[in-house]
Amino acid sequence: MKLTIITGGLREPSSTRLLADRLVTAVAGELEHRGDQADASFVELRPLAHPIMDAMLTGFTTDALQSAFQAVVRADGIIAVTPAFNASFSGLFKSFFDVLPEGALSDMPVLIGATGGTERHSLVLEHALRPMFSYLHAIVSPRAVYAATSDFGSQAGSALGERIATAAADFARLLSACSPRARRDLVDEDLASMQQLLGGATGGT
Amino acid sequence: MSALCGAGACVGKYGRRPKTARPREFDMGSSEASGMQLGIFTVGDVTTDPTTGSTPTEAERIQATVAIARKAEEAGLDVFATGEHHNPPFVPSSPTTLLGYIAGQTERIILSTSTTLITTNDPVKIAEDFSVLQHLSGGRTDVMLGRGNTGPVYPWFGQDIRNAVPLTVEHYGLLRRLWREEVVDWEGKLRTSLQGFTLAPRPLDNVPPFVWHASIRTPEVAELAAYFGDGFFANHIFWPTSHTQAMVELYRRRFEHYGHGSPERAIVGLGGQVFMRPNSQDAVNEFRPYFDNAPVYGHGPSLEDFTALTPLTVGSPAQVVERTLGFRDYVGDYQRQLFLMDHAGLPLKTVLEQLDLLGEEVVPVLRKEFAVGRPADVPAAPTHESLLRARTAGEGTQSDSADNPEAR
Repeated sequence: MKLTIITGGLREPSSTRLLADRLVTAVAGELEHRGDQADASFVELRPLAHPIMDAMLTGFTTDALQSAFQAVVRADGIIAVTPAFNASFSGLFKSFFDVLPEGALSDMPVLIGATGGTERHSLVLEHALRPMFSYLHAIVSPRAVYAATSDFGSQAGSALGERIATAAADFARLLSACSPRARRDLVDEDLASMQQLLGGATGGT
Repeated sequence: MSALCGAGACVGKYGRRPKTARPREFDMGSSEASGMQLGIFTVGDVTTDPTTGSTPTEAERIQATVAIARKAEEAGLDVFATGEHHNPPFVPSSPTTLLGYIAGQTERIILSTSTTLITTNDPVKIAEDFSVLQHLSGGRTDVMLGRGNTGPVYPWFGQDIRNAVPLTVEHYGLLRRLWREEVVDWEGKLRTSLQGFTLAPRPLDNVPPFVWHASIRTPEVAELAAYFGDGFFANHIFWPTSHTQAMVELYRRRFEHYGHGSPERAIVGLGGQVFMRPNSQDAVNEFRPYFDNAPVYGHGPSLEDFTALTPLTVGSPAQVVERTLGFRDYVGDYQRQLFLMDHAGLPLKTVLEQLDLLGEEVVPVLRKEFAVGRPADVPAAPTHESLLRARTAGEGTQSDSADNPEAR
């Protein structure tokens, strides 16, 4: 299974990346348990911030951003993790999906996660991330994971570990049920519909 | 993108160039010599000059456009093309009015568009306007068709952008028939039907204007151009070269598929964008504020990034020559190169200086060099004369040939 992990953390080290790492490790373990292999690649958004904004302004992409798009399109599943900013995902995280080619996430299993200063923001997953991915026709795994700063402390740590383990088990089941993803060629689809139109247009009266 | 990005093969195919010049008996001072037409295209934007803060009036911009077209002819260029826009800050809402006036002020240059909106214009009116322009200009007319991507313009003309592709196909199908058939009975889905309609005036010498289909990003346009054996013009300047390469490769492949001849016989045009000064650092310094504030890509990528990713060349005339000759390496030998010279608030005086540099130091070298190693079976850029000759000889390279799908 090709897994692509999209992380929108801005600082180094990033707690968003930390959560993403723990999620992918847990999912890989679950997949292995099911006799499957996880082949993980990471798309870090911070180094792509300028290309993402340029793409929004010009409509075209640099090679680095194009490779990130390819990593998304070729994946069998996505793990997407963002910091919570002002009651939503970060603007950079949203911008990446705003410039991602249409259809790239159609029928894509997605596990969502978010990080924040306090657990009071945890519903950002249900109010911001889940609707966006549903709109993009992704298949969003039912259990999302939110990690607050306190979750990384020793006392609450095991609770986060349990949430990660349960979410990973769900997502691994979803990935297995969906099986490797059939890739659509949107260019070919556009051309096919054009050919159909041309076939009709030349008939004349 | 995936299927088209295999166009690396294209580099190998067109990248190796025979070094010996093929002897040809043409006068080297015209497009006939290299088979290439070299010209300019304008968007017609009214933009504040970021270095002075002054903004031309619409009247000044329109008069400047005429002056630029006249200068293009004087500088020895082959083509002047104007855009079509129906909203501020653009002035060319009525391209054939502008081109008709320019036709009266010039003698040699080909007048074209970049682009004429096949979606929102009525095909009957396009046929009429360009027929008249053909007659007025003595055949110095062709047309580049485009879809238009500004949503609100569609309802202003009673159309819907969601129908853009079907409108393109249906309108163009009708336009072709209006130019080719004496009496047209036509029925479609998106326009009222025609019964016993005859276009007046008929196209000059009964030769329809050559049609280019222009695309910034969509493969459908390449398919449309290939289907009819028309020209394909890649905007080129707003996208990375890899995209242009993929689109042209698709067009050439489909041109052959539809039976118009080998891929090398397809008719390809490219956009380009340059700013020159004898000293390249002067060009960079002078152009940078215009680039940084340009309507389309300003406040986005740096001039350096944009130059690396797209065909934009800012430097000496020699650098422009070298870069432009390199386009062949990824699209193959082609027929038309148009440069964007007069946008982003550049003052008229500067634009006219640019055209002098283009005419004196770039175009003559390009003509000579584009002819070097150009295989004999690569067609020259179509003109009214060449289309008339081809029809008279009964061996059209384009639309009227027997293998045209429409004629089947």
